[in-house]
Amino acid sequence: MGTRNEGAGTATSADAALRRTNGAAMAATLAAGIGAAALGLFVLLNAAGVYSAPSIYPPAGGLSGRSTFAVVLWLAAWWILDQRWRERDLAPGPIVGWTVAMAAFSVIATFPPVWELF
Amino acid sequence: MLFSTRSLLTMLHGLVLSGGAIMAIAAALFALRAMALPEGAPVSERQGNNFAWVAVAAAVLLWLAVLGGTYIVFPPYRATPPEGLLDLTGYPRAILLADPSTRWLHTFAMEIKEHMPWIAAMLTTAAAFVAHRYRSSLLAEGSLRRATGWMLSISMVLVLCVALLGVFVNKIAPLE
Repeated sequence: MGTRNEGAGTATSADAALRRTNGAAMAATLAAGIGAAALGLFVLLNAAGVYSAPSIYPPAGGLSGRSTFAVVLWLAAWWILDQRWRERDLAPGPIVGWTVAMAAFSVIATFPPVWELF
Repeated sequence: MLFSTRSLLTMLHGLVLSGGAIMAIAAALFALRAMALPEGAPVSERQGNNFAWVAVAAAVLLWLAVLGGTYIVFPPYRATPPEGLLDLTGYPRAILLADPSTRWLHTFAMEIKEHMPWIAAMLTTAAAFVAHRYRSSLLAEGSLRRATGWMLSISMVLVLCVALLGVFVNKIAPLE
């Protein structure tokens, strides 16, 4: 990802740095894309018969496992990216682009006619 | 009783929570454009807070709709009827699958309804986080507004599609 201004510069406090940099916003944005892509991947793997996430709540079937795993990956990605980026200022274009691309992948992956390909 | 508990829960899921989420996302998208300020201009605390709370409300309503849909409404929808049962009332998935003309409502519509709302919920949460964390500057920061706008727009499209499919499914095989 492109970086406009590495580090928080001459910030006098962490709070001041957080207000000035966009890293926390970019971390949340990209993490949402990663979570969406993870869900799409779990759905595709299930459709292909490669891997089925175990059901967390049997009455809801495999959906409970796929969605729970995706949410865990989303939150983990968010936490990791936030730790790395929160005091940095990043170019938003590529990050938003990747997020939209991963969301698009997930939408395609959760579109039932696509599963017929497997 | 006019409405069963399951019917009321379905209405709460579809009309109150999902409908509320749609309205809140629409309001956030409108506010993002209508309340936009010139780059770097001071954002009043009231404006920033108002926008942030609309976005947070959208995320909370959407998560309640998604979790309620998955863990409260979906299980009775997909329940398997006992062997040999002729009256499938109360088993919506079985009703849909029993008729070739309505089969697509499960194999296409319901399968989409199972997954896509989760994508929307994650994106809306990210938008709400940005709106809240950057409430003192977001409305006057074009790049953040655009990022937030993208996430809310995708969510809006997904939630509208899912809501429409939900209406179709519930029209043919309501959860009674």
